[in-house]
Amino acid sequence: MKKIPWSKIIIYGLLLFLAVSVLIPLLNLLAMSLSDPKRVGELSGLGILPKGFSLINYEILLSHPLILKSIGNSLFITIVGTTLNLMLTTMTAYVLAKTEFVGKKVVIFFLIVIMVVDPSMITEYLLVKNLGLLDSYTSLILYRAISVYYLFILMRFFNEVPDSIIEAARIDGAGHFKIFTKIMLPLSKPAIATFALFYGIYHWNEYFRATIYLTDPNKWPLQVVLRQFVINQDNTTLLSGLSSESYDVVASLDLPSLQAGTIIISIIPLLLVYPLILKHFTKGALEGGVKD
Amino acid sequence: MKIKKLIKRIREDWVLYLMLLPGITYFIVFHIVPILGMKLAFQDYRIIGDNEWVGLKHFKVLMDSSAFYDVLKNTIIISTMKIIFIFPIPIILSLLISEVRSGRFRKYVQAVSYLPHFLSWVVIAGVWISFLHPADGGFNVIRNFFQLPSIDFMTSKEHIRWVLVFSEMWRSAGWDSILYIAAIMKISPSLYEAAKIDGASSFQQMRYITLPALLSTVITIFILNLGFFMNAGFDQVFNMSNDSVNSVIDILDTYVYRIGILNGQYAYATAASLFKGVVGIVLILGTHYLSKKYTGKGVW
Repeated sequence: MKKIPWSKIIIYGLLLFLAVSVLIPLLNLLAMSLSDPKRVGELSGLGILPKGFSLINYEILLSHPLILKSIGNSLFITIVGTTLNLMLTTMTAYVLAKTEFVGKKVVIFFLIVIMVVDPSMITEYLLVKNLGLLDSYTSLILYRAISVYYLFILMRFFNEVPDSIIEAARIDGAGHFKIFTKIMLPLSKPAIATFALFYGIYHWNEYFRATIYLTDPNKWPLQVVLRQFVINQDNTTLLSGLSSESYDVVASLDLPSLQAGTIIISIIPLLLVYPLILKHFTKGALEGGVKD
Repeated sequence: MKIKKLIKRIREDWVLYLMLLPGITYFIVFHIVPILGMKLAFQDYRIIGDNEWVGLKHFKVLMDSSAFYDVLKNTIIISTMKIIFIFPIPIILSLLISEVRSGRFRKYVQAVSYLPHFLSWVVIAGVWISFLHPADGGFNVIRNFFQLPSIDFMTSKEHIRWVLVFSEMWRSAGWDSILYIAAIMKISPSLYEAAKIDGASSFQQMRYITLPALLSTVITIFILNLGFFMNAGFDQVFNMSNDSVNSVIDILDTYVYRIGILNGQYAYATAASLFKGVVGIVLILGTHYLSKKYTGKGVW
């Protein structure tokens, strides 16, 4: 038998420890949310297997009007927002990366300024207020319609498409819009898919603008409801939303488990696309380029 | 003559301008307008009518306010702690991962370590509040196992900054190691083979091949981090703070949020924002200059 060197054992051990320390807190919440509310007290803070098994937390959460509504709101914001992100980012990136026009240098200069200078959250808030967009999804969807970082990365990606293809299309009489839709977009599907994931996750996770722009709880996305419930410990909003016949159910509930369930629900869509992220990521479409 | 030619070119390219229009409009309305709007820092805000220019009034109040120095101090302390304790971790992680030859183990470790980066700070705060719970949180279970008393970390002024450091590490170490792993993968295998023939141990290979090859990436990322020094993690503090510990982790951005959005002192809050923004830009331009000088690559 070959002797395993000590250094190997230490390296594998450290990495295993790291992976476990990422996973345990998450799996513990999952176990909590799936435990029988009467037995959840037995679950250790490091436990990853539910004590007993019950879906009662999820039944309650997924029949709760505020939570249901907020999931719908989040999906709406994510889908509409990402679609708009992709249309605007790709079109702008094409023009800036693949064409020459009068004024291009000025535009690029301003984009660099925008990348370096962040507006104050106060003036952004006042802008949204003055435009009459408070309490409307338009503000959430529009305020980050294009990420300058993603725009620059996509421009770099578009630059790698050979000019000769575009030249050939020009000679055949294709206009810029046609080249963009018929050549650039199909050629950059993997990159666009990656950006769709990143934009999508951004929208799904967004909570701060929604917190300050939306005052009507019926419009809140899931992250804001989650924050209200888990961070601000506002249990009354959640419990008062339950239908009256479930009062006896409420009495048997364990609030931390219910909170754990809400966290898990908000992570599920992310886990669904996570294999895609890893796949597209390893394809290297963004390797070395994306930070945040 | 020249102008005529210019106009002719612009006319020919009208499709391009049309395609650019939505993007440019967006950038003007949602970036340039609020950036220029920061002139509010030199004005008094009026709900009706024009704002009144007041010069440096708000900055004077700011400089005389002890609250401002407290949040400035917290921002600097938290950012410095994060740079010292978090910055080296992804480098170490990338070195460890690159030592792993088994494809599957490596893939799983990477997949797991990237995951927290994609969670929102609301979720991360929720996870950590639960994990650090004084009664039955996982970390206190470990402490109790070693006969140590439970600590309520989230409400302890002594510990809360470390909670910020470790939760940020938990979130970002894996994801941030990607850039280093990519840099290590670019090192030519023939270097290691030659070193092996010369009898270099794997530690010597790391010391004399991997680390020197990583150096320029390390410098670039360190410099980039310096550019974000004044941020200190708004979302993190926003979700992890509470009345017991707010005084030691209240940073510039949360201060701006509180006095501006919550208290409605728009002009005063904008002045604080502008102060932070200007320091930030100086840091970014400075680091851009340093980066060009030492690595030949700018920040952009």
